[in-house]
Amino acid sequence: MELSSTDLGLAARVQQLTKTYGTGESTVHALDGVSVGIRRGEFTAIMGPSGSGKSTLMHIMAGLDAPSSGRAWIGDTDITGLSDLELTILRRRRVGFVFQAFNLVPTLDALGNILLPFDLDGRRPTALERARIDGLVERLGLSSRLNHRPHQLSGGQQQRVAIARALATSPDLVFADEPTGNLDSRSGREVLALLAAATREHGQSIAMVTHDPVAASHADRVLFLGDGRIVADKPRQSAEEISAYMLASELGAAAPATAGMVAS
Amino acid sequence: MPRPAASGAPPRSAAAPLAWLRERGMGASVLVAAISSAFGAILLSATGFIAAVLRADPYIGDSGTLAVVLSIMGFLLIGVAVYVAAIVTANTFATVIAGRTRRIALLRLIGATARSQRAEVARQGLVVGVIGAVLGLVGGTLLSWAGVVLAGVAFGIGEVEYAVVQPVLVVPAVVVALTTWAAAWAGSRRVLTVTPLQALGGSVEASHDAFTRKGARNGAAITLFAIGGALLAGGIVFGLVSPLGVIVAFFGGIFSFTGLALGATLVMPPVLRLVGKVFGSSATARLASENALRYPERSSRMAIGVVMGVTLVTMFAVALETVKVVLTTSAGGEPPQEMTTLLDTFAGIMMGLVAVSAVIAAVGLVNLLTIGVVQRRRELGLLRALGVSTGQVRRMVLLEAAHITITATVTGLVLGIAYGWAGAQSLLGAVPMPPSFSAPTLVAPAVPWLPVAIIVVATAALTLVAAVVPTRLATRVAPVEALAD
Repeated sequence: MELSSTDLGLAARVQQLTKTYGTGESTVHALDGVSVGIRRGEFTAIMGPSGSGKSTLMHIMAGLDAPSSGRAWIGDTDITGLSDLELTILRRRRVGFVFQAFNLVPTLDALGNILLPFDLDGRRPTALERARIDGLVERLGLSSRLNHRPHQLSGGQQQRVAIARALATSPDLVFADEPTGNLDSRSGREVLALLAAATREHGQSIAMVTHDPVAASHADRVLFLGDGRIVADKPRQSAEEISAYMLASELGAAAPATAGMVAS
Repeated sequence: MPRPAASGAPPRSAAAPLAWLRERGMGASVLVAAISSAFGAILLSATGFIAAVLRADPYIGDSGTLAVVLSIMGFLLIGVAVYVAAIVTANTFATVIAGRTRRIALLRLIGATARSQRAEVARQGLVVGVIGAVLGLVGGTLLSWAGVVLAGVAFGIGEVEYAVVQPVLVVPAVVVALTTWAAAWAGSRRVLTVTPLQALGGSVEASHDAFTRKGARNGAAITLFAIGGALLAGGIVFGLVSPLGVIVAFFGGIFSFTGLALGATLVMPPVLRLVGKVFGSSATARLASENALRYPERSSRMAIGVVMGVTLVTMFAVALETVKVVLTTSAGGEPPQEMTTLLDTFAGIMMGLVAVSAVIAAVGLVNLLTIGVVQRRRELGLLRALGVSTGQVRRMVLLEAAHITITATVTGLVLGIAYGWAGAQSLLGAVPMPPSFSAPTLVAPAVPWLPVAIIVVATAALTLVAAVVPTRLATRVAPVEALAD
């Protein structure tokens, strides 16, 4: 009998996940046999240098892309073999997204963007959901901005609208891809604090891809990827510890390379 | 390695001098130029041929004025077609440039001047115009020749001598090439606003088209419309005394319509919004109608092109139908057979010719919708990530196309009925009608159901065709592709 993700206390997981692009000489192994789970009620940071596969991992776990081999689950649902329509509906109802930029639909106002997942389902939020959304809006400081269009909002405000939208459907998991990448440090800190609060106060599971040690220091758990594999799995780290680890792994990777150069 | 040109223009690759023709939007511009040029050739041949036929017909007799009237109408129709083609081309080039912003910015960063970039675009416009005009001229001449032969067989007028190949046919082609060049130049104004900074990544997406208040232009539009309206009213009143009222009304029509075309951005958005409400309030409907309003200038000018075509067709249909009704009533209930046939044939030909403008506008519309989808790849990727299914994307694109076509058609029908009635009324107001047999009389607009039905069906067909390519492109966008930088 197979253990379900819920039994394991996981909001999402992957097993022996492999993703390759291209063939023959130009094959790229983006992911190489990755098995990992995102724990429920935790704020997980996924880190790694460029080309480590962290964005690919997130894309597949979020149902945006299909693996070459291996399996993936969101909650208890095996998403590996799902059709495009089923994945789309799954994303709509059970996943929240916060991207680095271009998060909002430019032709809708803030409230329209927040309620978009419900509109796409052709329904209005229930009273309970509406209360939750109102609470989110107030907590995120968006009450006076609800009928503004994205171009009338600052970068930080746009990210907050995106967070409100991501949390509005109480999804199994929120995926954040470099959410503070385009923000100044103050707005960035606000966004990270809001995400951490969502986990702490409401038990929301969040997976954040980032290359910023300060951002990752807000997380309960930090996963490091390298060359398509998980190379480290650490509990809550300070920014200094994360930076030290990143530097060490880069130097470690550089040493054999320079040794190779000297030798040849 | 090629030496850099001294003028600030980057050296062109010698490998593919005309590779840019493959870009989206260029093919459609060539097609539009070809259609206008062919139309010009066919129309001139048709009017020349009709004049020759009438001269040979004993019933009509001296047709000197008729020939002049035909020529004037011919040139006017060509003028309309070329005008619509110019709008389409300017719009297309403006849109194409919006999509080339990054590339232009990069060239500016490297050191090309804004003027040289704009000149390059204008040059491409000239090439497009020339290619289209030549293709159209050749195609149009061939079709005219075939038409003359067919008409000779069908109507038994084979003994009428008419030389199809005449030097005057070149005139529309030249006009088309030049206006395409000018339209591309006008549409490329945005090149001057591209800054080198936009080549650097991370620039804020400027998807909101600032609604520029063109005060002077709107003022001129309103003035023209007012003058036109006054002339129309005057023509109708004058027409109660004399059939020459139609000339006054004619100028009224031209002024008021030019006013409408200039003030398209004033008139079309509210109508677009109204049509949007009809589509309902589902997420896809709202996204579609908001998209149509996203670039009000673009959508309005595009819709005006189709409005023109539909207005003209409807105008002819209503005017001639009303004339038929009046003649029938004044002849005591019996439609005079020869006049009816003549009017019907005339109506059919005119509507067919005028429908060409509608076709040109339609090509432009399809093209713009396609380019719009291509330029929205990121947004479509976002929507797919958030949970918009491919079926919903398809519905969105279809609704967006329907939005513009329905708005344009309804507006065109209304305007066409109004103008057609004004034309007929100003022409026939002085005709004595039973039972009183005293002038002046007021005629009610007679709307022939067949042309209107054809227009409605054509609108539906246009919507479906316009949505095909954009839909295919939109549904092909995978959420991941569009999110990657």
